[in-house]
Amino acid sequence: MIHDFTYLKPSSLKEALTMLEEHKDDCKVICGGQSLLIIMRQGLLVTDYLIDIKHIKELDYIQFDAKAGLKIGATTTHHTIETSDVIKKNYPVLVAMENKLASIQVRNWGTIGGNLAHGDPSGDPASVLIALKANIKVGNAKGGRTLTLEDFCVDFFETALEEGEIVLEVQVPTPEAKTGATYQKFNLLESDQGMVAAAAAVTLNGGGKCKDVRVVLGNAGPKPVRIKRVEELLRGKGYDEKLFAEAGKIASEDCEPVTDIHASEEHRRHLLGVLTKRMLKQAWEQAKG
Amino acid sequence: MTTTSLATTKFTVINTHVHNIDGVAKVTGRATYTFDVKLPNMLYGKILRSPHPHAKILKIDYSKALEFPGVVGVVTGKEDTLGVKQGIWRRYQDLCDEQILPLDKVRYIGEPVAAVAALTEDIAEQALDLIEVDYEVLPAVYEPMDAIKKEAPEIHEGFERNINVTRHIEWGDVDEAFEEAEYIREDWFKVGGQHHVSMETRAAVSDYTPDGKLTIYHSNQSPYYLQALMAGVLGMREGDVRVISHYVGGAFGGKFELDGAIFCSAVLSKKLKRPVKIIYTREEDFIASKRRTPMFYYVRTGVKKDGTFLAREAKVFTNGGAYTGMGATALYLTGFFHSFPYRWRGYRYDGYRVYTNTLPSTSMRGFGAPQAMFTSEQQIEWIAADLGLDPIEMRRKNSHYPGYEVPGQARIESCGIDQCYDEIQKWIKEKGKLPENRAIGISACGFMTGGIFNWFDTPYAFSAAMVTINQDGTVELYVGAQDMGQGSNTTLAIICAETLGVKMEDIKLHASDTDHCPPDLGAWGSRQTLMTGNAVKMAAEDAKKQLLEFAYAHAHIVSKTGLNIVYDLDIKDRWVHNVARPERGVDYSELVKIALRGKEGQKIVGRGFYTPHRKGMISPAYSYMLQGVEVEIDEETGKIRLIDSLTAHDCGQPINHLGLIGQLEGAFSMAAGYGYLEYMPFEDGQLMNPNLVDYKMIRATEMPPTAVAEIDTYEPEGPYGAKEAGEGLTNPTAAAIGNAIFHRFGVQMKENPIRPEMILNALKEKKEQKKSGKKNK
Amino acid sequence: MEKQLLTLTVNGQPYELYINPKTLLVEVIRDHIGLTGTKRGCSTVSCGSCTVMLNGMAVKSCSILAMQAEGAQVTTIEGLEQTGELAPIQKAFIDHGAFQCGFCTSGMIMTAQALLDENPNPTEWEIREGIEGNICRCTGYNSIVRAIDATAKGNYKEV
Repeated sequence: MIHDFTYLKPSSLKEALTMLEEHKDDCKVICGGQSLLIIMRQGLLVTDYLIDIKHIKELDYIQFDAKAGLKIGATTTHHTIETSDVIKKNYPVLVAMENKLASIQVRNWGTIGGNLAHGDPSGDPASVLIALKANIKVGNAKGGRTLTLEDFCVDFFETALEEGEIVLEVQVPTPEAKTGATYQKFNLLESDQGMVAAAAAVTLNGGGKCKDVRVVLGNAGPKPVRIKRVEELLRGKGYDEKLFAEAGKIASEDCEPVTDIHASEEHRRHLLGVLTKRMLKQAWEQAKG
Repeated sequence: MTTTSLATTKFTVINTHVHNIDGVAKVTGRATYTFDVKLPNMLYGKILRSPHPHAKILKIDYSKALEFPGVVGVVTGKEDTLGVKQGIWRRYQDLCDEQILPLDKVRYIGEPVAAVAALTEDIAEQALDLIEVDYEVLPAVYEPMDAIKKEAPEIHEGFERNINVTRHIEWGDVDEAFEEAEYIREDWFKVGGQHHVSMETRAAVSDYTPDGKLTIYHSNQSPYYLQALMAGVLGMREGDVRVISHYVGGAFGGKFELDGAIFCSAVLSKKLKRPVKIIYTREEDFIASKRRTPMFYYVRTGVKKDGTFLAREAKVFTNGGAYTGMGATALYLTGFFHSFPYRWRGYRYDGYRVYTNTLPSTSMRGFGAPQAMFTSEQQIEWIAADLGLDPIEMRRKNSHYPGYEVPGQARIESCGIDQCYDEIQKWIKEKGKLPENRAIGISACGFMTGGIFNWFDTPYAFSAAMVTINQDGTVELYVGAQDMGQGSNTTLAIICAETLGVKMEDIKLHASDTDHCPPDLGAWGSRQTLMTGNAVKMAAEDAKKQLLEFAYAHAHIVSKTGLNIVYDLDIKDRWVHNVARPERGVDYSELVKIALRGKEGQKIVGRGFYTPHRKGMISPAYSYMLQGVEVEIDEETGKIRLIDSLTAHDCGQPINHLGLIGQLEGAFSMAAGYGYLEYMPFEDGQLMNPNLVDYKMIRATEMPPTAVAEIDTYEPEGPYGAKEAGEGLTNPTAAAIGNAIFHRFGVQMKENPIRPEMILNALKEKKEQKKSGKKNK
Repeated sequence: MEKQLLTLTVNGQPYELYINPKTLLVEVIRDHIGLTGTKRGCSTVSCGSCTVMLNGMAVKSCSILAMQAEGAQVTTIEGLEQTGELAPIQKAFIDHGAFQCGFCTSGMIMTAQALLDENPNPTEWEIREGIEGNICRCTGYNSIVRAIDATAKGNYKEV
């Protein structure tokens, strides 16, 4: 049963932030709310005020220019992202990720800002966006700040959002030339939440050697897990399947997955190794063009 | 239909493209389920459930709940239901072991303890928190192999080692047959539970009125059972209880018994004299309904080197959960169908149903057979491999055939399994060489067409039907059968239309209301097409015979049809005609009017009934089928993907073509889910995934193509030669998936659902064995 | 709890309701307006039985606050028929036997209609992906896929 609350519907971002400032710790923000309402129904979250930002048009945008990169407003829905032409053209991995994020109904209503603010380590966007070196802009009534998405994700269902702050925008730099990025989750049902997931982004230099690389694992710890040892291993190296296997091994060692009813910790480590290997290989091949 | 084709067409309605008669209601949202029922002055009920797997109830104090604004009443076992017990085995009181509101003890997490009625669901839910219950927590046990230990806690008084019921089946000299065997193989299996997951959760609205009558809207699969059971537990006459179940949002064996929703709503309504509605949340439906029985299966099989089956022995320990429910029947049927579809010179089965502190297990589509086939059909595949034999030919030479008698149990009349093998072989051959990461698995099985058990001790015929004809020729068909989605309303209307010789749109079917329909045992064990179908056929024949009596006697019709004494009249497609000269006839509605006048204005009434006689102990007829599945398995991750499938299926004469295909496809999806997805893990008696996020089921993206090869047979006991379809196919699929994995990797999967981790572990083990084998050499 | 005013349009009819703001869209549709064709099967955004169209998009009405539908155009299963004539998708479901118990059917049809509105010529895989947010325990989905495919091919166009 959902406990009673007072519903507030600010008509602008400014008004929303003022409301947040006013109600501070007795309020929660709802956007798509599809995860929020589940925990409210379970009685795990009780609040006096619920501030609805879903309809705030100021935060519903996708902007791209080659210099500044991609900017996605917090209330942009998953389905808007996956059908955006500029994203299709410049960030195909985001489209692929969004496409399998959940059912179409959920993608129609759920928003990128809501997803990231939820802080679920099995959520798909965070891992991919961190692999793409995304930043996140958050703000309160006093102003805004931008931090890396990696720093934004703190722990299980915990983010760097401070009291009175909401997510405003996700910023993704334009990928360098010769960059490939891939993402895959392991699940038994096509668009189910992943038991584990891996994102990889590989940038090659003119000689076909690895210039830059990121591997980020989903549902592999309390937040998206960046495997830095793999980055060190691959930088400067050429295409080598043995290296990918070695990277997989490192990934399975450096993550911190848990055991639950769907898979044991050991199995998750194994799967993360396999996915890392596969994603690196695919990303590399994509980067080669 | 032209009149000239009437002479040559076997059927005008049966097995044609007939739409479901509830279609318009269901695709427009007009169909009202129990979930949708709203009565004037209605209250909403909620059930307080045990948080403990095993505990004594010392005290229940609900005074604060009663004071809560909006709460109208509370009921408890001690004050209201006084320990009344229920069970479907009405004839055997010791198996009626479940007090739905217990007096003094709870035996599983989620068991009802008290129920509240309030003005809204929210208020009722808040009131639950205000009921104080003092428990004395008792030691609990969750697995059958632990519960049969001497030192295990006693769950029900007087049941030694917690053994609830035992079942024994034996024929032939088993030991002698084993002695003759040239090859013997034994295996242990752990077969899983499964939840029904009907899309409509358990739901009831009870309306007890001051004149002592009770009307209950309830989502169930046998209104007559629920009427009788409710009358029993409430101390009322059956005739004073009316059960209405017009649209049922799925059941699959899980809405057969009296559940907490119907019981608590009725007790509350009786106390408060107001309608009370109780709808289970999805979580309640998971933790406090029932499930398919998990089983530990020991199988020992003896064969000749040429693959002739000689002897089989099985020992089964099932996780019965806290109460008996339908579990005793599942225990018998798993043992019986474990022998299917093969001939054994000696067969012995010992089943033990063990009480544990988990939610009770019960009937579910397949009724014990999916567990049996998971073990049997895999072991048979392994035996064929061990002996270097063709697994299909080995099965074929040992299979049932028409006229075979399962010693002391059943006589097989129609049996098309031989043709099923042909179809599967053809399918495999056509596929040719598969990609390396794919393999095909097959599995055979047979299933019942309704049960002959009268566990309920009903004085009525097993099925009955009534047909009346209106002056315009439209037909009222009354049956007690229950359609919970499987399409029985349509199937029965087809049988009626075909028999009477009218069109589908002439039939108005009345079912699912005990006040207006004849009693019928309802929808379980695949019984309605044959049993209710026979009753409908008989009723329609009765009505038709009465109509034709007027035709034979009426000068106008005699002259129109050119009738003389050696000619027969018949009605097909609303045309009353001379069978030998079908172009000569009159319109059916003309005859109806003549008959109505001839009967001084009384409607024609046709009556029919069916109870199986001299058909052995189990079922009047048996269906046969083979499931083939092409499976892709990722060697590195263990992920399974179903690529293709063929079902070769002998259901006698198909009646309802669209319904048949739908039932087979639906059974496949449920059975495949049982094979590799659906899983009910418990920790300390707590179900760990009581929601549709964590309980995984096949979705549209996981479903492979489902081709069906229908085998043409005729079952003499069934209406127009029909027998079971749609339940039996829940049985073979899990084993077929297991067999595909066996052919892909050579590993044997002895536990289901077969999850990726288990496949990888089996592969690892195999590698290690290989290594150590090499070392030893 | 102070009730709040909600105005929305359901199946072309305007409604003004005073509701507790925690009321879900599905509750407004079923309990306040009385359109019980829309069902609920889970409350965890899993089963899709509660699917309706909101401004033309398929959404799960069990996981949206009714207040969030302020000013919106909602279409439920009851809104698909046009002047007493079944919509092509409804006819196709009947003709293909694409339902059994019928409890998931309203949500399934609304999902299918929204899919066809957005993508009039879906591939079989796109149909499967399009309805994967809807659980049907009865049919095994293939008849549903056939019905949607036949509708897309124009087999059930209104006469």
